[in-house]
Amino acid sequence: MTTYLIRRFFSSIPVLIGILFVTFALSRLIPGDPCRAILGEKATDKVCNEFIHRHGLDRPIPVQFAVYVGEISRGDFGTSFRYSQAVTRILGERLPTTVELSFAALMLSLLVGIPLGIISAVRHNSWVDVLTMFWANIGVSMPVFWLGLMLAYIFALLLKGTPFALPPSGRLTAGVLAPTLADFWGLTVVKGTFLYTLIEFIGRMNILNALLTGNWELLSDAIKHLILPAAALGTIPMALIARMTRSSMLDVLGQDYIRTARAKGLAKSLVIMKHAFRNALLPLATIVGLSLGGLLGGAVLTETIFGLSGVGRTLYDAITARDYGIVQAFTVVIAVFFVMLNLIVDLSYAYLDPRIRLD
Amino acid sequence: MKRYMYVLLSLVVLTGMILAGCGPKATPAATEAPPVTEAPPATEAPTEIPFEAMMQEAPNCDYGGEIQKIEAVDAYTVKMTLCYPDPAFLSKVAFSAFPINSKEYLEQTGGTGEILEKPNGTGPYIVEQWDRGNQLIFKAFDGYWGEKAKTPTLVFRWSTESAQRLLELQSGTVDGIDNPGPDDFAKIEADPALKLVKRAALNVFYIGGNNTYPPFDNEKVRQAIAQGIDRQRIVDTFYPAGSEVADYFTPCAIPNGCVGDPWYTFDATAAKALLAEAGFPNGFETKLFYRDVVRGYLPQVSLVAQDIQAQLKANLNIDAEIVVMESGAFLDAADSGILDGLHLLGWGADYPDQTNFLDYHFGAGASKQFGDKFTDLTDVLKQAAALAGDEARNPLYVQANNLIKQHVPMVPVAHGGSGAAYKAAIENPQASPLTSEVFYVSAIPGQDTFVWMQNAEPISLYCPDETDGESLRACEQVMESLYTFKVNDTAAIPALAEKCEANTDLTEWTCTLRQGVLFHDGSSLDANDVVMSYIVQWDAANPLHKGNTGAFSYFSALFGAFLNAPPA
Amino acid sequence: MDNTNKKIIKMDVEGLSLKSVSLWQITWRRLFRRKSALVGLGILSLLVFIALTCQWIAPYNPYNVLIGFESVKSRQAPCIHLLGCPSDQPQHIMGIDGNVRDEFSRLLFGSRLSLMIGFTTVGFAIVIGTILGALAGYFGGWVDNVIMRLMDVLLAFPSLLLAIAIVTVLGPGLQNALLAIGIVSIPSYARVVRASVLSVREMDYVSATRALGGGTIQILFRRIMPNALTPLIVQGTLGIATAILDAAALSFLGLGAQPPTPEWGSMLGSERNQVFTAPYLVFYPGFAIMLTVLSFNLLGDGLRDALDPRLAHISG
Repeated sequence: MTTYLIRRFFSSIPVLIGILFVTFALSRLIPGDPCRAILGEKATDKVCNEFIHRHGLDRPIPVQFAVYVGEISRGDFGTSFRYSQAVTRILGERLPTTVELSFAALMLSLLVGIPLGIISAVRHNSWVDVLTMFWANIGVSMPVFWLGLMLAYIFALLLKGTPFALPPSGRLTAGVLAPTLADFWGLTVVKGTFLYTLIEFIGRMNILNALLTGNWELLSDAIKHLILPAAALGTIPMALIARMTRSSMLDVLGQDYIRTARAKGLAKSLVIMKHAFRNALLPLATIVGLSLGGLLGGAVLTETIFGLSGVGRTLYDAITARDYGIVQAFTVVIAVFFVMLNLIVDLSYAYLDPRIRLD
Repeated sequence: MKRYMYVLLSLVVLTGMILAGCGPKATPAATEAPPVTEAPPATEAPTEIPFEAMMQEAPNCDYGGEIQKIEAVDAYTVKMTLCYPDPAFLSKVAFSAFPINSKEYLEQTGGTGEILEKPNGTGPYIVEQWDRGNQLIFKAFDGYWGEKAKTPTLVFRWSTESAQRLLELQSGTVDGIDNPGPDDFAKIEADPALKLVKRAALNVFYIGGNNTYPPFDNEKVRQAIAQGIDRQRIVDTFYPAGSEVADYFTPCAIPNGCVGDPWYTFDATAAKALLAEAGFPNGFETKLFYRDVVRGYLPQVSLVAQDIQAQLKANLNIDAEIVVMESGAFLDAADSGILDGLHLLGWGADYPDQTNFLDYHFGAGASKQFGDKFTDLTDVLKQAAALAGDEARNPLYVQANNLIKQHVPMVPVAHGGSGAAYKAAIENPQASPLTSEVFYVSAIPGQDTFVWMQNAEPISLYCPDETDGESLRACEQVMESLYTFKVNDTAAIPALAEKCEANTDLTEWTCTLRQGVLFHDGSSLDANDVVMSYIVQWDAANPLHKGNTGAFSYFSALFGAFLNAPPA
Repeated sequence: MDNTNKKIIKMDVEGLSLKSVSLWQITWRRLFRRKSALVGLGILSLLVFIALTCQWIAPYNPYNVLIGFESVKSRQAPCIHLLGCPSDQPQHIMGIDGNVRDEFSRLLFGSRLSLMIGFTTVGFAIVIGTILGALAGYFGGWVDNVIMRLMDVLLAFPSLLLAIAIVTVLGPGLQNALLAIGIVSIPSYARVVRASVLSVREMDYVSATRALGGGTIQILFRRIMPNALTPLIVQGTLGIATAILDAAALSFLGLGAQPPTPEWGSMLGSERNQVFTAPYLVFYPGFAIMLTVLSFNLLGDGLRDALDPRLAHISG
């Protein structure tokens, strides 16, 4: 087990290096310079020459790459041109939004997808099964951006004025603020420390913040704003999970040991939950791991449509604005996060199924 | 054996990572300050401390800029000496890129960092909190020298989608929005709960060409294109109400804008004949460059581009291939004169004067966007810029416009109207022609919060170093300049200066400051604050010349050049 | 089960005569038994039909601006004579788009583009992926390591973001978007082929061919590749679905098909601000995308079940 762990960890290292290289190469290959991108039609040659010199963009490329790698390994992600702030700070501000959104989408897809899959499997070939699979197939085929727009149309316009109306954009209603956790608890935490950053990070996730501070108005407001984006983003994973759960359960339910359990006289629900479901979990782990990539990618579209300022949207804007600092840092963070996640999925796979300890 | 190797290697790597982690951490550039609370009670301004007047002077006028000397004559008087006469000085000074900052605050923040997010101005609002990505909250400033803000709390929100903005206005979650989509104008006007305020079109959208690339080097070809586009159809189909066909480059609201002969009337047959005369009876192939960025002068970019492409084909048999470029790359290429086809661009007024329109584009100092300059045109413009008085300049601008019509460096298409929409109950709705709405005069009766939704988030709140309207509008709520523009108008009226007077040849401007004006932190405004605010922009060698990107583009564009600029 | 022996002897109970049926025929029959696969096949056939005949079916030229020819306004609502629209007004089943063109005709022509997008990206990815996967699987060792690490790096980025980055580097345009999506899709095919190659590499018949003096390429193509065919077909069909979605997403963001091309994602993207004022311009293109992707998904699922029933129950 440990060998497997170590070996897996090691094979990630060249991947990480590859990620750094690809990110740097891509961001530098993007045509156009950040000066014009940021300053627009008011930029002149004089101004831009000075700009480029000040940000070290006129140094030879290998030097820039070396500087970049050095900074990354120290945890310093550089400064953003547009915002003149440390990228780490911008990341800290935007990441909670995306994490909250992705998490909510994932939760939604699991909470709806798994039961649907189980029911379909148990009532195999009934109308419930057919209907669920029909919707699951459609769900997998939906373009995220279309779904988001349609949902906004239905809930924000058609249902306007009804109790079902939902806001079409933003995270909170104007004027409603999530209090800073440190202030709320009366803590005096030194700025710039890890603890401070951690508390800030948690505090920016509105739902967590509301739960921790007992602010029910904030909670309901945050949830109302999160429903539509989470539904749009989570539909594809939901459909995938439903289908996977169903087929996995069907496979397991057909096995001999299930029949034995039933023959022994165990209640049907007990059989399903204790024996069948546990074993059906295995492929689910893979699907969840795979879906996360789709969630992060789909987050760009969802965040654009619903006006949320998360990592995906900021990255897309930064690519358009040639803000190298943000592009490189965010891409690396996302990719590394991904690699870590896949590592965890592989490990849980190995943990859950002793047969799969091979490489 | 292999297992031991792996374990050893992993231990080494882990140790390395831990050591790296224990190294000095990069401190974030700007630390979070606690939200600005009520301005502390104004400390007694120690009137006994002698006033040390500040002054900065350029050694001579060879550096290429407009300003020769700025000095604080006494505690409440500032005098600016210019290298050449500037009849538009007051308008420039009123522009939001030249707010007056507190000298002490500039020094304290180093001209960057905290000043980008927590401005310390003299305006009717104070920034209470900037919830990045979500909202910007302002609070009324009790110590304001003028009429206090009508609404105690002002909130800025933003959305890039006009449909979303309109929806939020309709559902009542916001009180005012910027730039409703062109198709939404009729809807808003028909809705009794909403009010549409149209914005005068102080901009121009044009089809540009570079006369160094054939066949655009042939003046007849350019004239043929000038006659072969049905500009009325473009304005009718793709622009909102309040837009007009541009018969001149400069909008008519600008003095001397619409003088001389109006543009060619649309005549496809004549255009085709002219093109044949020029040697292209069967048209030719070219490219149509543009960037997919929405502006007041071009609200529906790709639709207009497609229509122009269709018209070029149908009316002139010109095959224009559409090439969408990224915004920065497009502007770069246009300025360097390397676009070898037609391009779509526009211009929004910075200050209401012809020099901001004609000189910038066709004067001797203009970029290579349209190719080679026309000497007859540059001469006329140069003469006109040196004169003061609209009547004196009139005959020169008549000549200039006629020359533009003859040479066709570009084809002006439209002056794009836009607008703002509010809840019907609003008092003092605003849609400033210069997009500088100041909300302290507006209110919705019965509400103590006013929510405004614009197109995008401000980039920073340090006006001198920003160029986009979204940032400028935000900092206009909290900062003020010597002069300001009248609400919903382009006339410059006194603000922090009670008056600014010029000498007879308009090269020396003396401004008398208002007394008793307070900054948000309680300190008083004096002449040194004014001088310092201008110096940090003007003098590139000044340690406080930092800002957000350090570009200070508007200063360079409006006042010519920086002092001590680094060699290009 | 080894696929080199393609003929299966089937007993005909009635006449006790032997009839041989090929694997493909069995697959076809199995496919037909699944209703969902039939639905998918049906939709796909309709799409192919439209793509081939749109020139004759579409009432208007999708590029024709109608100003001056008809008195219609930009973004006018649909007018269907059967549903009550007065017959003196020109019929536009799905309304008029922002540039005063007929939306229905543009939708029909868009099918051609979408199918082309799906097939080219997947074709490209399959060719490159197969080469890489075969090399990796057959030679093993450091070749395998390098290629698989490369694939891992590609997979480390969320596919849409990587595609956006690639298109930004290359410049917006349909060709570049296709290249970007193709590149991003390569890893999954490489893995599939590699797995197939690995599974048969050590089999007897391969060793036999080698003993008989067969060259590497001959072994690869004659013996090993056919093994990879079935999972490739399944993966490819499903991959077309994803490719069409990704291309639509890129066009939606303005990075893919450029105006005036009638591509569904770009049609949706340019009208996204009219979702409340002209929802038909947003609904129809999106629905068309969904229908196309659905057909490929259903077909892919059906093929997967039909080609190897055991695989249907394992994660994939």
